[in-house]
Amino acid sequence: MVGPAATLTPLARADGSASYQCPSTGSNILGSVNAPVELPGRRDALKPEEATVEVFVKPGTAPAGVGERYVEGIIKGVLGRLILGRERGYPRRGVVVTLATVGGDSVGRGDSYLTLLPALLHTALLALLSASVPLSMTFSATVLAVSDSGEIIREPSTEQAAAAKSLHVLAFSSKGHLLLNESQGAFDFETWEKVHQRALAICHGTSAIGSDGDVAMVEDVDGQPLEGTIRETIEDQVHRDYAWKIDAV
Amino acid sequence: MASAAPSVPPSLTLPPSQFARLQPHAYLLAHLSPPASSNQPSIRANGRATSQFRVTSANTGSLTHTNGSAVVRVGDTTAVCGVRAEILPTDDIASWSVSHSSSSMNKRRKLTNPAQKPTQEEEDPEDETHIQQLNLLVPNLSLSTGCAPGFIPGAPPSALAQSLSHQILNLLHSTRLVRAEDLRIWYQPPSLGQEDLERHNESEQMDVDAERGEEVGKDKEIKAFWVLYIDIMIISLAGNPFDAAWAAVLAALRDTKLPRAWWDVDNEMVVCSDAVSESRKLSLRGLPVASSFCVFEADAAAGWRAVIIPDAEEEREIEESARKGIQRRWILADPDGYEEGLTQERVCIVVDKEEGTGKTVIVKMEKNGGWAVDGKELKALVDISAQRWGEVKHILEQC
Amino acid sequence: MSSPLVLLPGDEVPSEYLPATNSAPLRLGPGLRLLTQPPSSSPSSSSPSHVLTATQAGILSTDNKRNAVSIFSSPNRRYIPTPNDLVIAQVHHSSQDYFHCMITPQTPHVVLGQLAFEGATKKTRPMLKQGDLVYARVLSVGLGAGAEIELTCVNPATGKAEPGGLGHLTGGMVFDISTGMAARLMRASSSSSDQQDGVAGLVVLDELGKKLEKAGGFEIAVGRNGKVWVDCSNGGDAAVKATVAIGRCLTTIDEHDLGPADQKKLVSRILREMKIDV
Repeated sequence: MVGPAATLTPLARADGSASYQCPSTGSNILGSVNAPVELPGRRDALKPEEATVEVFVKPGTAPAGVGERYVEGIIKGVLGRLILGRERGYPRRGVVVTLATVGGDSVGRGDSYLTLLPALLHTALLALLSASVPLSMTFSATVLAVSDSGEIIREPSTEQAAAAKSLHVLAFSSKGHLLLNESQGAFDFETWEKVHQRALAICHGTSAIGSDGDVAMVEDVDGQPLEGTIRETIEDQVHRDYAWKIDAV
Repeated sequence: MASAAPSVPPSLTLPPSQFARLQPHAYLLAHLSPPASSNQPSIRANGRATSQFRVTSANTGSLTHTNGSAVVRVGDTTAVCGVRAEILPTDDIASWSVSHSSSSMNKRRKLTNPAQKPTQEEEDPEDETHIQQLNLLVPNLSLSTGCAPGFIPGAPPSALAQSLSHQILNLLHSTRLVRAEDLRIWYQPPSLGQEDLERHNESEQMDVDAERGEEVGKDKEIKAFWVLYIDIMIISLAGNPFDAAWAAVLAALRDTKLPRAWWDVDNEMVVCSDAVSESRKLSLRGLPVASSFCVFEADAAAGWRAVIIPDAEEEREIEESARKGIQRRWILADPDGYEEGLTQERVCIVVDKEEGTGKTVIVKMEKNGGWAVDGKELKALVDISAQRWGEVKHILEQC
Repeated sequence: MSSPLVLLPGDEVPSEYLPATNSAPLRLGPGLRLLTQPPSSSPSSSSPSHVLTATQAGILSTDNKRNAVSIFSSPNRRYIPTPNDLVIAQVHHSSQDYFHCMITPQTPHVVLGQLAFEGATKKTRPMLKQGDLVYARVLSVGLGAGAEIELTCVNPATGKAEPGGLGHLTGGMVFDISTGMAARLMRASSSSSDQQDGVAGLVVLDELGKKLEKAGGFEIAVGRNGKVWVDCSNGGDAAVKATVAIGRCLTTIDEHDLGPADQKKLVSRILREMKIDV
């Protein structure tokens, strides 16, 4: 399957930016990060010892609505635990993440944002890395749909997602923690465990440990794990930026 | 307290209420992990056990001008929900004449997923599309002024209110709680018997849709829809607004009665009957119940202290070894406002039980904001949520 | 030395990449932090173990001489003032005691004391006008939101402009470069290079110096805030042309990440295009 494609620092004026395309879900996101910045007018709302993380999601065509508020909350929850907001220069300042949908299907009112969520999360992560915001670790995320026949579809298209019985977004930290789970639609816990294992394999490419402790091997059907894709994107960029240093060695 | 007895010399101890305000984290931690010598059980500052929900009560039909209403109180969090039904004639839907050829849509849907077997749960696939495309369900949640400190008059809807509105709408759609058939207003022309065009299609839907099945062979036409405006007001917010809001929506929808409505050919409009006896209740699909949890970390500074974060494998081992020793974190069910302020990681699980088999079905499962909850913890939480389902069902059935 | 190591946040720094241990303490640069094992979690190890992990994505750089290790992250990042950085500031307006200067377009103005110049007294303070350029050092950045950043053109301890060159920059022209390029130029211009590939992969300054010797040479000042000031006041008629040529060389190399050979080619090409005889 065709993996996602990402570019770092496509925007010159932002502190950090990234663009991200996921061919299977058809999402195309452009993200920018400005950090650390002064947040004027909100001094009283700022935490005295930490950075304030703000996330804005802009849909492709329509103005942002309640769905965007909700997905902003989710992304903020994930990033808030990873950004080291107490590093020097960050307390009382803001980390502003703006994510814009530039292509693919837009999400209608009341529709679930789940198909877009992994792309939004990855874009935010890459933009944060490109802005050199200190993070405690990285993560990778994926969306899986379970069809009526119980088949697990990786990164479903909008039609597949609409026809699916349940839809799951999972994000794992680079140390293997389950950082985020968003599941909707009818399913039972066994299904979720299968989804969890498959998602772990997609993100990390390793064998997963079930909740009962037994090791289940997952064959490598998904190509390169997402974590590797993210690492490669960063490495490519670093190699380009520091060609002078690397060539000299 | 101390002022009542002026003869007593001022002591250095603080009354519990002040300690709770000054050192909220230490206060809750002291309750959850009492010294081994004191022989006290681990209990939350509000007197509940970790997996205990607050006392919940529900009351329906208290608002007279709505089609259905409910007040749900979970501890000190109170949500009022009113459902108002309005008629949306299909003539007013701009895209209606283009898109309403329902039979062709049915066929297309069938073709896209050939693997789909017609089970007994199989239902009108148009359901979701109609409700979703035409926005027949319009929930709106407002956190009213003064429901908690910090909600000032005249402020725009907060991000919390907006995201709760979205969550409720999304859950209404994904659980398909309301049947589209209940919201349709049909017109039955006095026909002289035509050939059924879609016999095979209808026969599949017969068992779900008995009313429609009776009239096989007639050229029925949808003339209007009921639009349900579901307004939720949180009049008192003491943590965990989603559970209360969703329970209020559920109770209000169960209470909702729609008057009998039909298309009057002569006047070319929809007319409603004012006879109460003719009105009918909505027939909801299942009874999804939401339960929220939060994770309280023993180490208040865990988030920023420069320590090695154990990876997932190590985490599990630590968890095992910690079973006997000191507990590092507690999963608290139905957090109140005080506890919500001290925690970051949240879990929300919505479960339903299949009628007959009693099998637990998860409808929505969310966790965010940390890495304490993994597969094993979620499994335990699903079981707690299933228990809670029984309690809430009991409460809703009594009101 | 093994191949350069690219780290992502949360990655541990392998011990073989750390400078050989000697008595001096290890100095941690930006992008790294020292983590300790939480004491309660591993009862087996009595002494707390320490691990160095990255907090930013970038290339690991070890400096054996200074016994320092740091992460070089994105070279295009915005300049964030830190004390002791040399910057090129532009005077925006002046008040009773201070010049208010710009160091980057995005940040609020920074202040530069009217008397923070070499030999300046109440009577002989420099008269800087709006738009004048100053080569200065960051004295303090303050704490928290809304803190003022202060610059100085003297070493407060000695009262001298140290290193030489701090103060008003007259003539010449300023070019914008990336902050990563500015850091490289600073290393390249401050140390005389005898290596084939130049310092920090830059041979452009040596090359330009050789070629422009006849035109009277040039002066250069590099600010960490991504600005470089160039002047060829000795160049006579060709002064302006030479200044522009140098600026074009530096910005082109920055944009296209040219290697040493390409840098040499570029210098000859631009000088030829600008019709500067060498």
